[in-house]
Amino acid sequence: MAFKKHSVLPGFNLALGYTLLYLSIIVLLPLSALVLKSTGLTAEAFWHAVSEPRVVASYKVTFGASLIAATINLITGLLISWVLVRYSFPGKRFIDALVDLPFALPTAVAGIALATIYAPNGSIGQWFEPLGIKVAFSPIGIVLALTFITLPFVVRTVQPVLQDLEPELEEAASSLGATRLQIFWKVILPTLLPALLTGFALAFARAIGEYGSVIFIAGNMPYVSEITPLMIISKLEQYDYLGATAIAVVMLVVSFTLLLLINGLQWWSAKRMGRR
Amino acid sequence: MSIEIKNISKQFGDFKALDNINLEVASGELLALLGPSGCGKTSLLRVIAGLETPDNGQILFHGEDTTDTHVRERQVGFVFQHYALFRHMTVFENVAFGLRVRPKKTRPSDAEIRKKVHRLLELVQLDWLADRFPAQLSGGQRQRIALARALAVEPRVLLLDEPFGALDTKVRKELRRWLRRLHDEIHVTSVFVTHDQEEALEVADRVVVMNKGQIEQIGTPSQVYDTPASPFVYQFLGDINLFHSRVHDGWAEVAGARIAATDSPDAAKATIYVRPHEIDLSRVASEAAIAGKITHVRLLGSTVRLEVDVADHDAVEVELTRERYAEGEWKVGEAVWLNPRDAKVYTGL
Repeated sequence: MAFKKHSVLPGFNLALGYTLLYLSIIVLLPLSALVLKSTGLTAEAFWHAVSEPRVVASYKVTFGASLIAATINLITGLLISWVLVRYSFPGKRFIDALVDLPFALPTAVAGIALATIYAPNGSIGQWFEPLGIKVAFSPIGIVLALTFITLPFVVRTVQPVLQDLEPELEEAASSLGATRLQIFWKVILPTLLPALLTGFALAFARAIGEYGSVIFIAGNMPYVSEITPLMIISKLEQYDYLGATAIAVVMLVVSFTLLLLINGLQWWSAKRMGRR
Repeated sequence: MSIEIKNISKQFGDFKALDNINLEVASGELLALLGPSGCGKTSLLRVIAGLETPDNGQILFHGEDTTDTHVRERQVGFVFQHYALFRHMTVFENVAFGLRVRPKKTRPSDAEIRKKVHRLLELVQLDWLADRFPAQLSGGQRQRIALARALAVEPRVLLLDEPFGALDTKVRKELRRWLRRLHDEIHVTSVFVTHDQEEALEVADRVVVMNKGQIEQIGTPSQVYDTPASPFVYQFLGDINLFHSRVHDGWAEVAGARIAATDSPDAAKATIYVRPHEIDLSRVASEAAIAGKITHVRLLGSTVRLEVDVADHDAVEVELTRERYAEGEWKVGEAVWLNPRDAKVYTGL
């Protein structure tokens, strides 16, 4: 094989073969079955299923809320990883462990807990109620749940990069006359950008697929706070398997396109800097 | 721009990195801080730069106290051992960085920046790499770019922390000669840190030898090499043979040979240092010669190193030129007499 490079570690064929087989069975096979199933629909029926006004509204809610949640975590995730790497304070390890908790908790539990706290009579929700802001049972609640669920991604991708950032870079910039703000914007942030993008993409992808936590806090009002995964479930409950499949295929295509774009962007920037 | 360092001390926990350092760097001078790792030379450089604050003492630039001036305002150029180039910027942008971060009022126009950066890149002979990224350059090229970047802000002093430490021997030698020529061209007051005595002796106008947070000796390269102020300096600036002895009537005895130790008190413990290349070999006994037997011969390019066993002492290393070795026809197992041409006797250690 032309692309096989000589290496002291044997097993290129075995490792690549295993990778392909594994990905095929775990990822590719179920997804292609999904696409295959959707071909049971005529083009017209497919279009009808995926362009129903109620379904279109759910795309907007899902992708919109996911985008907002991932963006919020992009900023707070950077802040949290900065605090965890740059400062030492009592209870640091405890907070560090806390970050991973949203991964471990059953998502439904998270949804119910959030819904209880942020409901109009809940311990936090009651303060928003007089302001006319409804957190739970509205799109804001969806964003909140998705923000909770996707918190660890940015923190965990940025943290190691920040840890490896040589202090010399900042010292060099400082000796060249840069202010703290300039050092952050011109030196630190661009160095962290690939990791931030990865974290953002992961958080976004996870948010799009999230179901368990959202349905408890969303209120699930048609056209307002219904997410696309919920549309799929409700189709299934009506035994409309083909309709559910069609919506799933749309989600798959959009998610994959977005992830491909983000990965492409990273690949391009790495190549430009001569690291590939 | 002269630098004056007054009573500088710095402690890290229990470790005394700098112990009351006093030093003056003359304007336009190229000074080397030389010493083993952990001797405080890098700490001293970082204190001069303002990257580290001293516990006590003062730093004066041209008579003006800069001890509390932030590194940002101190106008120093700092070059790091591992280059510390900004990976996401091209070579051009790296060099331009110090100009671009200036406040609007003092920032040069784009055209001026371009002109200046290209002039600096020409100075370091790398103008053709302007659009590359640091990852695409060799180590030597990266360090020259780092130097151009430091010079772009027209620093009052240039500080280099083991600038050639991460490079291989051949590039290192090339680059240090180049640095010397560059310094002769631009004459900015420069201090560089190194643990390589050859580098310090070759490049610097003056050498400061440091050990355990203190200055052992300050002098020109020939002063520190020819008249080392302490045994530490002597043994740090080159290979040595070491003998222990006692002084009697102004003479120290080493394995039957007598070595002059005038000015030394009687019966004092003496340590005698002899450099391997300052020993002559002979087949004839004499009063000042040490008896021994050749045990090993190693060829090291232009020189030959012989190991000679001497009774009651550690083995002695002798370095001969290729020709001398060939003339003498020395062989392993042969009994020889060692004649030190120059020996330093230190007493009271």
